Amino acid sequence: MTAEPLDILLTFARLGLVSFGGANLPEIERVLVDQKGWITPQLLANGFALGQVMPGPNMLAMTHYGFAAGGWLGAFAATLGFYGPTALLSAAAMTAWQRLSRWRWLPSLRSALLPFGAGVLLAGVLVLARGSIHSWTGALIATASFALLWRTRVNAALIVVGAAVLGAVLGL
Amino acid sequence: MSAPTTPAASAAPATPTLPPTPAGLLRLFVGVALVGIGGGLPAHTRRALTTRGWMTDAEFAEAYTLAQLTPGPNAVNLAAMIGARLLGGPGAALSVVGILTPGLIAMLTVTAITLGLPGGLPPTVQSALRGAACAALGVMLTAALPVLKVTAGIRFGPTLAVITFLLLAVLRADLLLVLAGTVIVGLILHRPRSGE
Repeated sequence: MTAEPLDILLTFARLGLVSFGGANLPEIERVLVDQKGWITPQLLANGFALGQVMPGPNMLAMTHYGFAAGGWLGAFAATLGFYGPTALLSAAAMTAWQRLSRWRWLPSLRSALLPFGAGVLLAGVLVLARGSIHSWTGALIATASFALLWRTRVNAALIVVGAAVLGAVLGL
Repeated sequence: MSAPTTPAASAAPATPTLPPTPAGLLRLFVGVALVGIGGGLPAHTRRALTTRGWMTDAEFAEAYTLAQLTPGPNAVNLAAMIGARLLGGPGAALSVVGILTPGLIAMLTVTAITLGLPGGLPPTVQSALRGAACAALGVMLTAALPVLKVTAGIRFGPTLAVITFLLLAVLRADLLLVLAGTVIVGLILHRPRSGE
């Protein structure tokens, strides 16, 4: 089964535009698995995990899903659709923000937005923790990684690769 | 090593050693993507920007928050915003291409191979991925630190941050509603004073 590239592009563009603070995984599952039937739940999970060890944004899983839906062309359509429109929007938002730089309410808006940003970040950490930590060993790995990164200058990629080796050895 | 004129005692914000260039921006984000295996891209982005003196911590926290507000993947939004801020439209395009390219190549390679495997990934690889995901959580926490630090310096900032967290993570409230509420309360608390 191969999906139309245009269908893939539009579907993934919609998924990008309804994702806030990272990935809207429930919606991704609803659309790609249930509605379109392009991927299986197993492929969804595998792609997500693969995305964690790829250099760059975690949601490169979308490229994986696009490939499953429509081969090479599908992979490119999914990537372009997921990242393109939202990146454009972001660049436009930043430009508008800078234009407003002399507006007297701007410092107020900044003070109002930053606590919100911090709250979203903390919520994102919790969501990610729910998805990835299923054992005390896992929690220990996460805590140790955080401590190492916080207190030393160790390269994060090394820590992640080390944790992957540990995971394979322990059979997490 | 290229800033001999900066006295060590200077408390001024980091002085730009070299101004941002298109090639420099592309290199920065390719580099961020390469060290950002397992996530934590914002932390790496911040480190790369502040060591080059292209942005201060406060400017970064601002861009980071804006990136949360636009829909889509944060790390890529952040790259687009930083690119736009430093070098306009072309800067935004180069930053996005830079942060996506290494992972795209890697993901396409792995995908083309593994999707051909009957029965999916072998169990050992699954276990390895689970370990990596736990470490990724630690990386993400370090990315949150600078934003939390800036927020701690804002009047009522910590309180509003905790309320936002509880509403989103525990009560699963609608993000746009929480945003509207937080911003209205924040604007009232921090309204511009007419005198001075």
